[in-house]
Formats: sequence, structure tokens, C-alpha cells
Amino acid sequence: MRVSLLLFILLPWAGFTQNHTISGTVTDATTGEALIGANVFVTSTKTGTTTNSYGFYSLTIPSADSLGVAFTYVGYTAQFKKVYLDQNIELSVELAPGVGLLDEVVVSGVRSDENVARPQMGVVDIPTEKIKELPAILGEVDVLKVVQLLPGVQSGNEGTTGFFVRGGNADQNLVQLDEAIVYNPNHLFGLFSTFNTRAINNVRLIKGGFPAQYGGRLSSILDISMKEGNNKRLGVEGGIGLVTSQLTAEGPIKKEKASFIVSGRRTYFDWMIKPFLTSRIRTSYSFYDLNAKVNWQIGPKDRLFLSAFNGKDDATYIEDGIEYNVRFGNTTGTLRWNHIFGQKLFLNTSFIINEYDQNISALQDNSFSEVLSGINDVNGKLEFQYYPNPDHIILFGAHYLDHTFRSSGRTEAQSGSDPSPGIDANTIPVKYFDEFALYVNDEMKLSERLSANLGLRLPGFFSDEASYYRIEPRASLKVALGPASSVKAAYTMMNQFLHLVPSSTASVPTEIWVPSTEKTRPQLSTQYSVGYFQNFRDNEYESSLEVYYKDMRNQVLFREGNQLIESLDIDSLLTYGKGWSYGAELFLRKNRGKLTGWISYTLSWTNQRFEELNFGNTFPFRYDRRHNLSVVGTYELGKRWSLSATFVFSSGNVYTVPVGRVGVFYGGSLFEGNYFVYEERNNVRMNPYHRLDLSASHKREWKLLGKPLTSEWVFSVYNTYSRLNPYFVFFEVEPATGEPKAKQVSLLPIIPSITYNFKF
Amino acid sequence: MKTIKYLFPPLLLLAVLSCRKDVNIKPKGNYESQLFIEGILYPGEQPRIYLSLSQPFFNKEVTPQEMFARGAEVRLSDGAREELLHPDSTYDKFRCRWVPYYLGQTPAEYGKTYELRVAFLGKTYTATTTISQAKVDIEEVEYTSEFFDVYGGHDGVILRFRDAPGQNNFYRFQMDRFLDTSRHHAHILEVIQNDCTNGEKFWITDLGRTIFRDENNDGQPMEMYAEVSFEYRRGDTAYIYLQSLDETSAAFYEDIDNQLQSILNPFVEPVFLKSTIEGTLGVFGSVVRSDTVLFVYPQDNP
Repeated sequence: MRVSLLLFILLPWAGFTQNHTISGTVTDATTGEALIGANVFVTSTKTGTTTNSYGFYSLTIPSADSLGVAFTYVGYTAQFKKVYLDQNIELSVELAPGVGLLDEVVVSGVRSDENVARPQMGVVDIPTEKIKELPAILGEVDVLKVVQLLPGVQSGNEGTTGFFVRGGNADQNLVQLDEAIVYNPNHLFGLFSTFNTRAINNVRLIKGGFPAQYGGRLSSILDISMKEGNNKRLGVEGGIGLVTSQLTAEGPIKKEKASFIVSGRRTYFDWMIKPFLTSRIRTSYSFYDLNAKVNWQIGPKDRLFLSAFNGKDDATYIEDGIEYNVRFGNTTGTLRWNHIFGQKLFLNTSFIINEYDQNISALQDNSFSEVLSGINDVNGKLEFQYYPNPDHIILFGAHYLDHTFRSSGRTEAQSGSDPSPGIDANTIPVKYFDEFALYVNDEMKLSERLSANLGLRLPGFFSDEASYYRIEPRASLKVALGPASSVKAAYTMMNQFLHLVPSSTASVPTEIWVPSTEKTRPQLSTQYSVGYFQNFRDNEYESSLEVYYKDMRNQVLFREGNQLIESLDIDSLLTYGKGWSYGAELFLRKNRGKLTGWISYTLSWTNQRFEELNFGNTFPFRYDRRHNLSVVGTYELGKRWSLSATFVFSSGNVYTVPVGRVGVFYGGSLFEGNYFVYEERNNVRMNPYHRLDLSASHKREWKLLGKPLTSEWVFSVYNTYSRLNPYFVFFEVEPATGEPKAKQVSLLPIIPSITYNFKF
Repeated sequence: MKTIKYLFPPLLLLAVLSCRKDVNIKPKGNYESQLFIEGILYPGEQPRIYLSLSQPFFNKEVTPQEMFARGAEVRLSDGAREELLHPDSTYDKFRCRWVPYYLGQTPAEYGKTYELRVAFLGKTYTATTTISQAKVDIEEVEYTSEFFDVYGGHDGVILRFRDAPGQNNFYRFQMDRFLDTSRHHAHILEVIQNDCTNGEKFWITDLGRTIFRDENNDGQPMEMYAEVSFEYRRGDTAYIYLQSLDETSAAFYEDIDNQLQSILNPFVEPVFLKSTIEGTLGVFGSVVRSDTVLFVYPQDNP
């Protein structure tokens, strides 16, 4: 038994002397951008692989006089290359955008059925080009809004970009931009995320069956890659919308060797609102995002990337004697070095910094209060990808993360007209702690029908207060039922050493991240999932049905009656419990033709149990929504016009409503009055949420000073039939009768918008 | 009498963007009224047990008389003797209404354990309390024109005392004073037309809403900042007590206080009232008062 196990482990490393390796990159022919997840398929041996996050692939196969290798990627013309494999060769390919067909014979053998073929499940890739086709809100198509339309993903409240995956809280999603953690991916109110679509290359959501290289969060990984910049020619594109505008410039620094991209977006809500303000009221709101990236192909085996992101929100409201300020922002920086050892071993080394700051202050009746928090991370990653043969892709690496958290709050009287000096940064309590992880993962093909993805991750956490070391086994298994169908199963264990102290609202930035302590133990989840995957009509249609069960331990909520005002002793405000979620997710997508899009439906249940809440009884999670339906479609009406629509329906959120009232009578004492009788937490469901968004775009290509120019008008309507969807419900007592009335607050009615985009 | 309420700034901005509508809410199942018992024994005083019926949440407000649980059989026993309490009431001149309760004739005694037994609509509810908490006297009372607590900024009084060592203690403020209709209530209650006084002064008992624990302060000097309910003028007099509550009563009134902060605020986790009486809602406990201190307001309310 031991000998077999040893052989099983060493076999992929042993190599085969009669084999040779084809390796290289797959890139966009017009921009030089890496194509992530492009298929590379050897038609004669029916073996293949996909490109990694940097467009790199490696295939080791038996020598042959003549081999046919097909390169395919959705939305690009496929390429077919004939090679003589009598030695290791490098073969880099550029695919041209647009739908083109290969030779008929080759087409039948080409695999673009990655969803069926790969052993991993619970993964959805969304190329940016697909995102841009969808309806916009206030002229912006948002990445996170698109993520909300995927199966197993629930949106937060009306108008927010927060998302909840398979019953997990918002903090259980690891959102990273070029590997840097983005702690708050929302702008104020959550109408927009911090991600500027024009600066993004690819979006990948993983919600189950996590490979071992991913960790640190319980529920999902949202991995966003920035564009690298066009290394062939200089280009500028931009968009002018109702409340925001953006401009992106990219081009070669040294043709086909080094390139850059700079992208900026700013809202001008503050300028627009100025004429409507009186001298008594002054209010202002603005945000901006800046993305920049350079990359340099040092040599055939080395490449450097440097990317940076900075986004800030600034809101002010000033009225007689009242002044409110909200400021928050993210900054990230990533330096990466790719090196290829030989042709089978790919190394990515990353050094990442990220920073998140928020400052909220209020001055009213000469009383000044302020809450301030901040996060600084410095981390390093070392990841090897080894391609010993077509049956194994082995990843192993290490990740070290150094956190510095600061938080403070205060309230004090302000005498006279002197403004309060604010919190002295030197006096803010600071918490230092570290995370690390070692991991190994092998994606293996065990037979023609059986594939597996086995991984082991060893994360750890240490601070002055507590240390935790964990073992996380990961396993996914795929059984092919035929050329276009498979059954998959996955088991995942995840730990999370950070907690987002949950605010009652999803988008206002009052949440504060806190590390694990002796009392606030790391969150732990165990997830089981099974799925059936079937494609039709040569992968024009893809479908899947996944069912899952997820168990979550060491969950935190506020104790009754608490809200986060100051963060001096957060542990004392929290209570601890567990949660569990189960459900089924149906996904049907049409990939080609004039009409493309998808339908996703999720049926799920999520419950929690906390000893100190709801009399210790089970209660539904706040975002427990039984039904979630998204229908997304884009129709090409001709060369110039395209139409798109999005319809969403979901059961309402649950919330807590008292069932009775009792009177406490003490002749004028401050606590005399009626008190509420609660029987059950989250006992009432809000009205269902549904919305239809429509969009039409007119694209025109013409020449300006002899250079090609593309212009586009986008007309969109958000919430077309102006459904008043619930944001939250509160109670108001009728003064005359003392009768409580429930009031539903809705945020966004119908919002038409128009945007002008250009590219040259 | 000022109370500063902190609105969270984004909410204010949201209010500009949002729209509201009335909605009908139907919690699961039909609500059945429950008996609510509030019985706090004071040594040396006749026991008063307030019994009322809870009302469906969305019903209009009713008076204490309408809520009163008539026909209950209320018995109080100290182990040696049992007494049947009878319905009685006092007139609340501040609100101009009768407040009914069940009254016993035998004053409660320090050091004794009491069992309350209430039979109502075929069910019997029992609870016990022992009056054993230490009597702690006030060392000093001081006026303050401004202090801050979780409710915001207020004026009020500061009580200084030394905690009784060796036990968990729970304290509450009490102020008794004569008022006339010119002294308004601090909060929304000022809209009440108390025109039933015929211009005469009336007696009120003003109980603090905050429970002060002696956690990490055993046997040490303590300060209690207390907001007062009614307006005052310079020279107005009041009688101040420091109440020592038993743990059960303290937990109940802490829940009351926490719920008061959460009521009508959608951004605070709701607080469930935890009953200390098996099978129904309410509390049965005891309070030991300090000796009284005469307090004279040094200035008009700000």
C-alpha cells in the first residue's frame, strides 16, 4: 500500500524519456494581452490543457512526426498549428478577436467544453468583453453587479454591489485585484464597485471545490486580473456618462516587449449638485479610481509586472450646526515576476501591498464623534506550476501575509467654533498579526473518464493574543459520462482568520475588520458539492446543475442591542454561533450566435444558530433567499445595433418584527412605555425583489485623420418598470393612536441613462 | 433638557435618494396575548404586582386599565405565611390615568425569600426572589449640566458611592419630587396634556433607565451619571435614592434599556426581552434602597 502511494506521488515527477514538451503563451493578436484559460488541444492524442493566469501553457506528450495543436478561446478565431515533435519546442500563439471557424475536421475535435472537462466545479469565468455587453446603471456596467447574476450568488440590498455566496456572509468573499486584497470593493451606497471595467482583463469566481492555492475566506474567491496594456499600438478609450466619466490609455513602451495601461474614472456628482444647493445646506459626494500597470518581457523566460490601484470616496453633508464626513479608500500595489524553468516549471513571485482606510465623523449640537479604521497588508507569494505530463498540473507554493489593523473612535463636546482636531493617528491602537500558508495541488487525469484535483493547504495565524494552525484538505473528482457530459463532486475545508464585524446595512462602510483572537476564533467551513454538467450542440449551449451543503463554524454577530459605534473592545460586543447552507443551482448558458446569455436559478436555505440569540433556537440567515433567478441576454441586431436585457427575481430578505407589546408604567420615568415582544428572529420576509434592465447600443466605426475610431452610444434603463424594491423596513408610531406602522424604504426607481464611449 | 441623537451620515444622504411606502406585515401564525408580570419588592413597602396582557404589535395603544389582567389570583408567600393580593390602582397625575396592579397588605422584609404564584386563565406561574442585596448609601450628589452616554448628551446628577464588596451589585438611580405642570418632560411625553391636576403639585418617582454594574470595581468608589426626566428651576428640590437590584431584576431592566435603544432603529440588532418567570413574560425581583438624600438644583435646566 505504502509502495503504491509512493509511486502515485512520484510518478508525475519521474517524467518519460520519450516525451517532449510544447510550451508557450496564448495572447490577443491585437493587444498582446494574455488570454487566461485559453484551450490548447492536441487533436491526435486528444490531450490538452489551458493557459494559466499569465497566458502560459505547457504540454508534455509522446514524440511524434506530425501533431495538430488547436488553440481556442471564446470570442476569438481559433488557430490550428502542425508541429513536428522530435524535441521540446516553444510555440506561442496570437488569437485574433472575432468568431472564425477552423477547418471542419479540426473543429470536431476541438474542446471548448472546459466547464464539462475540468475536474474543478463551482467556477465561472467572465471575460470583460461579455460584461461590457450587459445593461448599465447610470452608464456603468459593473463587474460585481454581473457577479450577482451568477448561480449561487445572492445580492445584498437594493442598489448594492455586496454579494453573498452559498449562504456565506459578505466578509467570506476574497476579492482580489492582481492578487492584492481589496477590503471594500464598493463605492458609497454600493451603486458602483471599485473596479473600472475598462481596466479589467478577466474575472473568475470560485464558489466551491477550491484548489489549494486559494484560501483565507470561507465562501468564494473573486479573482480579478487587470489588463496588461496593448504592446502593439497606442490606444485611447473612454466613456462619458451621466454621473461618471472614464479614460483609458494603453500602449507599448517597447513594441511587443513592454507595455502600459493607465485608466481613470471619476464621478462629477459633486459638480452637478452644486447649482441646486442653498447657502444653508452644503453637500458633496465624489469618488475616483485610478488603475495603472506596466509589464516588461525581460527575456523569453522572464517577465515583470507592476500594477497599482487607488480609489477614494469622499462625502460631506453640512447644515446649520451639523457636519458629516465619510471618507474611505483602497490602495493596492503588486509587483510580479514570472520565470519559466525549462519548459515544464513556471514560477510566479509576487510582492503585494494593500491599504484600506476609512474615516467617518459627525458634528452635531457641538458634539463631535469620529470613527476611524485602517488596514495595511504586506504580503509575498511564491508559486510554482509544474507540468510533468498532460495528466498532471502540479501547483505548490507559499504565501505570507503581514497585517496591521488600526481602529479608534471617540465622542466629545466641541466648545466654541474651533473645529475638533480629530483623532491623533499616533494614539490609535494598532494590532499586528500574520498569516501564512503552504500548499500543494495536483490536477490529474486518472483515466480517460476520471480526473481529480487533490490539494492540501496548511494555513496559520499568529498574533500577540492567539495562534492558530490548520489543515485544509481539498478534493474534486470528475467522471466523464460522454464527450459532452460529466458528473463532478468536491469536498473543501476552509479557514478564515479575519472577521468583518457585520453592520446592519450592506453598503454603508461602517463595517470593521477584526482579526481572530482567543475569543473570536477563526471561521471554519466544510463544503460538499455534487454537479452534473452537460453541453449541447458542440458547446453552443452549456448547462450545469450543482447541489451543495456548507457548514460554517465560529460565525459572529452583534449581541442584541449593539451596533458598532466605537471599536475599542469589539470582542465584548460580539456573540458566536454557527451557520449552514444547502441548495441547488441551475445554470444554462448560450455561448454563440446572435443571441447569447444565460439563465441561472438557485434554490437554497441558509440558517444560523447562536446560543445568545433567538433564545438559542435556529433562525434564517439575513440573506436566506429561497429563490434566485437571473435571466441575461444580448442580441446582435446587426453590425451596429445590439440589445441586451437583464431580469432578476429573488425572494425578499428576512428581518425581525415584534409580535406583541407590553407596557411598563412608571409615571414619567425615562423608560416608561411600550416594549416589544419578539418570538423569533428574522420571522418576516420582505417583499420579493425583481427588476428588468434594458440596454441598446449603437456602434460605429469610422476614420479620424486616417486612424480608425470606434464610437458607441449606449442607452440604458435600470429598473424599467420602476419596481419599488425593499431596501429596509422600519416602524413609525402614529402619535395619535400609538399604532405602529411598517414603512418600507426603497432606493432606486427607474433610472434611464445614456453613455458615449469612444476608442481609437 | 437636551438629547443629542447621532444620525449616521450616509443614512442622511440615503434619505435624500430614497422613497417610502406603508407595507402590511404579517408575522407567522396568529398572535395570542401573553400575561406580563412585573413585580419588584421593596423592603418595608406593601408588595405591588403589575399584571397585564400583551397586545398584538400592530394594534393601537391601549391604556393600562385596558391591558390589566383582571381575575387573576395572585399569592405571595414568604415560607411562613401566604397572602392573597387584591386589585388596586393609583392615579398617575402626570399622564392622567389609572394604573392598576395587585396589592398586598404585608410589607416585604429584608432577608426573606418570597414566592409569587399567579393563577390566570387556567395556568399557574411561579417565581421566587430573595431580598439580600446590600444597602449602599450615597456619599455625594453633584449636579452636571452636560454629560454623554449611549443616548447622547444630557444634563443630570452624579451620584458618588462605594460599592459593597464581595458580591455582584447592580445599581439604579431614583429621584422623587413634587412637580407641577410647568415642568415638562425631557422627551416626547411633553405632548401629554396633564390637565387633571387642578393646578396642584403632584408626586413623581423618576427611575433611571441604565443599570450600573460593579464589574471590575468590587468594593471601590463608583460614580453614577443619571439623566433626569423632568425640567427644573434653580432651587427645586428632589429626594434621591440609590437602588440595589437583585441580579434577575437587573438583567430584565438591562434588556428593557437595550431594547429602548433598538426600538424603531433599523440599524441596531433587536433585543428580545428574556422573561425570568417560567411560561410567561416578566420579572419578579427586589430592590433595596439607600437612605434618601435631599438635592437642590443649583440652576435652571439648560
